[in-house]
This record gives sequence, structure tokens and C-alpha cells, in this order.
Amino acid sequence: METTTNTQMTIGLAEAIDLGLMDHDKAEFYETPGGFTGFRYNGEDYKRIVLRRATPIADPSAYISVADHENKEICVIRSLSDLSDDQLKIVSGELDRRYYCPEIVEIKSVKDKMGYIYMEMRVTGRGEAFDKNCAVKDVSKNIRLLDDGRLIVFDVDGNRYIVQDMSALDKKSVRRLEPYLF
Amino acid sequence: MQDSYTLRYDLDENMRPCDGTLRFTADGRVSALSGGVTLFDHSLEGVEEALVLAGVGCGTLFLKRKDGEELVLCRFSMSALFPAGEFCKVVNYYLQTGTASIPEQEEKRVCEKCGRTLIEGLKVCLFCYSRAGVLKRALQLLKPFVRRIVTAEAFMAVASILYLLIPIFNRWLIDDYLGPMEGPIAHILFIAGAMLLARVLGETIFIISSRAYNRASLGYATSLRTQAYAKLQRLSMSSLAKRTPGDLIRRVMEDTYTIKDFITDIGRWGVEQAVMFVIVLVILLFTNPWLTLLVFIPLPLVCIVLTRFWDFIHIRYERQWRQSSKCNSILHDIIKGIRTVKSFGNEDREIEKFSGQTRKLAQVSSSNEKLWALLFPGMVFFTGIGEFLVLYFGGSSILEGGLSLGVLVQFTMYIAYVYAPLRWLVSFPRWLADAMTSMVKVFEILDEDPDITGKEDALETPLTGGLKFDGVSFGYKSYEPVLKDINLDIKPGEMIGIVGKSGVGKTTLINLIMRLYDPNAGGVSISGTDLRDMDPAHLHENIGVVFQDTFLFAGTVYDNIAYAKPDAKPEEIIAACKAGGAHDFIIKMPDGYNTVIGENGHTISGGERQRLAIARAVIKDPPLLLLDEATSSLDVETEAAIQDSLHKLIKGRTTIAIAHRLSTLRAADRLIVLDKGKVAETGTHRELLLQKGIYCDLVMAQRQTSKKTELQTANK
Repeated sequence: METTTNTQMTIGLAEAIDLGLMDHDKAEFYETPGGFTGFRYNGEDYKRIVLRRATPIADPSAYISVADHENKEICVIRSLSDLSDDQLKIVSGELDRRYYCPEIVEIKSVKDKMGYIYMEMRVTGRGEAFDKNCAVKDVSKNIRLLDDGRLIVFDVDGNRYIVQDMSALDKKSVRRLEPYLF
Repeated sequence: MQDSYTLRYDLDENMRPCDGTLRFTADGRVSALSGGVTLFDHSLEGVEEALVLAGVGCGTLFLKRKDGEELVLCRFSMSALFPAGEFCKVVNYYLQTGTASIPEQEEKRVCEKCGRTLIEGLKVCLFCYSRAGVLKRALQLLKPFVRRIVTAEAFMAVASILYLLIPIFNRWLIDDYLGPMEGPIAHILFIAGAMLLARVLGETIFIISSRAYNRASLGYATSLRTQAYAKLQRLSMSSLAKRTPGDLIRRVMEDTYTIKDFITDIGRWGVEQAVMFVIVLVILLFTNPWLTLLVFIPLPLVCIVLTRFWDFIHIRYERQWRQSSKCNSILHDIIKGIRTVKSFGNEDREIEKFSGQTRKLAQVSSSNEKLWALLFPGMVFFTGIGEFLVLYFGGSSILEGGLSLGVLVQFTMYIAYVYAPLRWLVSFPRWLADAMTSMVKVFEILDEDPDITGKEDALETPLTGGLKFDGVSFGYKSYEPVLKDINLDIKPGEMIGIVGKSGVGKTTLINLIMRLYDPNAGGVSISGTDLRDMDPAHLHENIGVVFQDTFLFAGTVYDNIAYAKPDAKPEEIIAACKAGGAHDFIIKMPDGYNTVIGENGHTISGGERQRLAIARAVIKDPPLLLLDEATSSLDVETEAAIQDSLHKLIKGRTTIAIAHRLSTLRAADRLIVLDKGKVAETGTHRELLLQKGIYCDLVMAQRQTSKKTELQTANK
């Protein structure tokens, strides 16, 4: 019996689609005098770039999209660990200025008021501890306990706060939060 | 007028917390002060624009200079995002006009009593609101039903008195006939008959009372729900957009129901319990004051135990409720998207996801039930302490001859009437809290002032004149302008095509013409009348519109077309459908124009939905037609057929059409190209092609795409 083979090869997704990963040899991040981050890439000079984490919660240091000021993607950094020390410092600085999420170190009180949860907390932001009060609406959506033991709180203004490790939080704080955890 | 405008910002350049103030002064300078130190003081000369860059959990305010350089002014958490947008508006007005127009500085919305920041969108401080005031308001709405409620309460009181007679009959029976064992049997029968009569009469009156109450409570709920729904209809798009559809539905349906439950059902039981309590107390005191005292001795302890118990258990039940709500929402989501689930073959994964959540719910419920089973007997014990005391001391008194058995039996029967209201009172705060939450939410809707209203002396100017955009700037969020300084002069009867990439503000332009929103700056006028001076109902009656996302209501095809003109004659409906190219497919359906189409027309195709929407827009014969991607879901041939019908209709009417498929706009008198929220090019198709600008690029790109597709098809 004669057999026929399909000579038409299928191209895989990875081959068909160019992720646009950054070519480190052609890339240079720099700080602008105006307080932004600029980027020289492939002979182009972008005066203000926007960095976006593809997976800001699951893996904040992987797949960072670099876009120009009109939000057009220039390239993607596969991992922050691929960057040289001086470049990493600039990129991390820019990411820190785009993603702001103080860490909760203590929950002082939680009050349930008419569908809103008022929280009094002690948080740290960029190494500095301070007190913060916030109101959270729609608790089941805006207090998210992740599988890895982290907890993220989104307040009514759009601010976000994180507990990096629920097991490291003091017992009183956990007890105050407990009714709102899922 | 103020001479400066300030913005309080809370993050320094290294994103550490700070207390900074950014100040714009009327002489065109911007300065920043933090920790008593002036950080900078810049002149706005050479500056093009002030902008806000929203990040994740924070934002940045910066200046863009005319030479392209950009300068960060301050950084802030999301709490300052809205004020930063307002700050930008003030600075940008100065940059555009050269004169400063500094509005009254809006104070940070804080509660006057406690100083807490008020939540955006809420007018009351949730810590300090007056419960009495809110409750009074809810009761005021009860006015039309007061007569019915008073009648029901009176019946309820009579029924309660009848029930309370039974222990007295019991006492007579025991003390006067059963105890002495003297009879006569006729008297015993008489007392038993009286007890039966009291029970039967009590139950009958109770049923009458319940029916009267139900009628009143349903009337109250309907009235409240209708008021809330009517208010929703009158609110502007910007007010409605602040809340999710789910939130609004909950307020209209569930919250009004909770209020109804509280005011009528709980109110009714409350009155009944109070009446019972007072009557029982009086009877007990008259019967034996010492035993009555024994009933009340453990009362403080019982109250403490019950309150603690509820505090503890309600948090756990709250959690159970939330978990149950999560299960519901997963179920709702999956059933809605069942087609997608099946098409990806993910049934097993979804079963696992749902069963995981239901298992969790079962765990929480089981743990609560266990706890309940453990604590409930204890609670019953505490509430029954009085009963033991009465039995012990009452029993001793009987043995000593100081009390009759009948009195003791009557006492023990009445104790239940004393403790029942206590159990009820303990859970009352929770019901009150739930009802207050719902009341505040419903009243918030009822009290909201629509920001787009018709003036008392609103004009009904005919819409046959020209349409003018005069320096219009607008953003759905004030810190993110979508349209910037738009100036357009559209002549009556002109057909205008709006062209531009996605997100440049084409639909926003149409939203402003319909006055779904008011511009942040500048004004839109038709026939020389500013839309803000025009009666909104008159405006909408004279505009025919086809939206990008066509929405049809559940009902027949006929009803959907007549939605725009309820008094339309059948000939008009058919004519409109012929104009919209819908007649041919409608007539082929077995029920023709009487075919019922499901919610949002899900039983017909996207193209058919769009054709019905066109028919619905033209049936009003409006002088102004707005077509937002009206034929995007149609194939080229059908589109061409509809375009021909539409062109006949369009003649003499001012028409604004948006289309990505540029061939759709070939008949336009003028094309307006939007880019980055501004009018970039204006002219006829030919003029714009000659300009070799954005429009020319768009045309070329579309031609190339279509050539490529043709080639690929030919090669196959």
C-alpha cells in the first residue's frame, strides 16, 4: 500500500510569533534630567519609556514590556536578572516608580461599616514604616489571598497593599483579617 | 478669584511617604514645598501641557515642554490621582489661554465630625451617619401604608392577647377543678372550649393581620424599588458608570427588599413582641411580684451571654455567606460562558473548580454547624436559668402552701414570652446594621443629583440647524483627557465621516452630541443652542442613533423597532426595516415581525441585530443621525445595499458616521480625522488623499490589507 506524507510543515506558535525579546547589546536605559527613564535601542532614542510587568503578582521580575510614551511596545525584557547591575538599577527604579504597593506589617483594626471595611494598618513603603488607613469595598474581590500565602488589599481609591507572608503576620492581625479571608 | 491652586501629594521622588504641596500661582509659576523646604519654583514659559501619568497604585504629574522635554513635578498615591487631574486642568487652562482661572479650591472631602476622609461617591461618613435620621427617612416613606399597618398591628395585638389568655385558663383549670378533683366536668369542658376558642380566634386574627401586613410591606417594597429605578433612569452616564451593573441591580432589588424586611417584617414582630412583653409583665407582677423578680434576676447575665454568642457566631456566618456567594458567582459565570467552556473541552476543570469551592463551603458550614450544636444548648441553658429559679422557688412555695400549682404553671408558660423578645432583641442590632447598610445605599441613589439635567427654562430648539463644537475638551476621568480642544462647524444637512484609530475619541464625540456627558471645557451647540440649555428629552427625541454595540431588548422584532416610536404604524415599521436592510430576513422568519428575539437579540446574528438597530434609528425620521460603526458586522454586499437605502434617508439630514471600513464613508461630504484626541485633518476624501497625511496612510494600509487578502485567496 502506498503511503503519502504531508510535506507541508506546521509552524509552531513560538516560531510564528516574535516575542520581541530585548537584544541586550543594542539596549541602554538611562535617567532623563526631567525624572523619567529613557531608552536607546536599535539606534532609536526614546525619551520616556513605560515599563510594564507581564505578571506583576506571580513573577514581578520576568517579562517586562518596554513601551514608548505612546504605549507602543519596543521590546520585552525576559528577566531582570539578565540586566547588568547599572542597567538593573535604572530599570528597577523605574518599576518602583510605576508599581507602588506598600507592605502591611500590622493590622491595627478592621471595622465593618455598611459594606465597607475600614482598616487601620502599619505599612512599610520603600523601607519606611508609617500608619495608613484605608476603606475597602466589595471585600470578596478586593481582599485576595493568594495560594502562596500572600495577601493583596485594594482600597476604594485604587491603592494596593500587600502582606508578603500571612504566616509571618502577628496573630492579632491575622485574627482581625480572618473573617475576610477566603 | 483665588491667586493660587494647590495639590497635596504624598510620595517623594524615591516613592517614600512625604507631605508635599504643589502650588500653581496666577503669575504662571509652579512650585513644590515639602517638609518646610521649597523643592523647586518653575516658570511655565515654554511649557505645552501638564499631564498625569497613572501607574499601578501611584501616579506622576509632569510638565511637557514645547521642545519635547518632560519634567516630573510630583508623585503620589492613588488617593491624590483625582485632585492631580483637577490641578492639571487649572494649569492647562492657563497654558491654553495665557490667563489663570483658578477655581475655588475643593477641600478634601472629610467628615466634619470625625475627620475621616469621605469615600469617593459617598456623601455620608459611614462612622458618623445618623442612624435615627436614616431610619426616620425610611419610615417616612411608609406613610402611604400607615393605615393598613396600624390595622394589622391592632389585629396582631388582639391575637397576642388571645394567646396570653391560655395560661390563665390553664391556671383556673388546675387550681379550681383538676387540683381539688371536684369537677363538675361541664366547667372543665367550658374552660377547655374557651382555650380552644382563644387559640382558633387568635390564629384567625393572626392570618388577617398577616395578610394586611403583607399587602402593606409589598406595597412599600414596590414603591421604594420604583423610586430607586426611576432615579437610576434619570442619572447621567457618568454617575451610572461609577457603579457596576451588578451593584445597581443589587441596590434596586436586594437592598430595597432588605429595607422592606426590616421595616415591615421585623417591625411587625418587634411590635408584637413588645406588646406581649408588656402584657406578660403586668400579668406576672399582679399574679406574684416575687416570682416575677426571680424571672428577671438572670436577665443581665442572659443578655451578656447572648450578645457575646451572636458577636462570635455572626462573623462565622458572615464568612459562610461570603463563601456561598462566591460559589454562586462561579456558577453564574460558568453557566453564562458554557459555550466557551465546552468549545475548549474544559468541563472537567470547571467541575473541579466549582466542587473545590463547594467543598470549602461545606467545610465552613460544617464547622459553623458544629459550633452551633455545641453552643446552642449552652445558650438555651442560660436563657432558661430564670425558669429553673421559678420552678425551684415556686415549687418550694407550693409545698409550703404559699402558692398554688396553677399559678406556677401559668408562670412557667409566661416565662417563654419574656425570654422570646430577649432572643429577638439580641439579634436586632445585626438586622439593624444590615438594614442601615441597605438604606444608605438606596438613599444614596435617591439623593444623587443628576449632573446632566434639563433646566427649568430648557429650550426645544429644532435640530435642523448646524452642529458646533467650540473648544471642547473631555475625559471620562478628568486626569485622562480623551478629546482636546475640538473645534468643529458642521452645516445642516452635511454628512460627516469621523475617521481615526481605535481609542482616539470617535465614540466620545458622539456621546457628547447626545449629551450623555457634558464637556469638561468648551461647549457643543445645535442650531445655535448650547446642549446644556436644551431639553434633554427633546434632544434625544430628535436624534437617531446606531451604536457600535447594538442592544436589543427581549421581545418581538416589531416591539424592538417601535421602541424608538411607540405609536409607529405597521407601514412605518416595515419601511424602517426596508431602509435598514432588515425586512428581507425578518419576512423569512415563520413569525415575521412578531418573532420573539431573546435578551439582547441572542437568537439572531450580529449582522441582523445591526440591521434592526438601523431600522430603529431611522423610524423616528430624525433630523440628526449618528451612526457609530453602524454597518461593521455586515458583509460588503449587504453593507452596500444598506448604504444605498441610507443615502436616500441621509439626504437633508445632518449625519455623523463613524467607520473603520473607510469605503463606508465614501459618500461623506467631509471627513474629520481624529488623532490623539484632536482634529488632525479635515476635508473630502480626495483632499485628504492629496494631503498625504494620517487619512492617506489609513487608506493605503486598508488597500494593502485587502490586496494581500485577495492575493492569498488567489494563491489558494
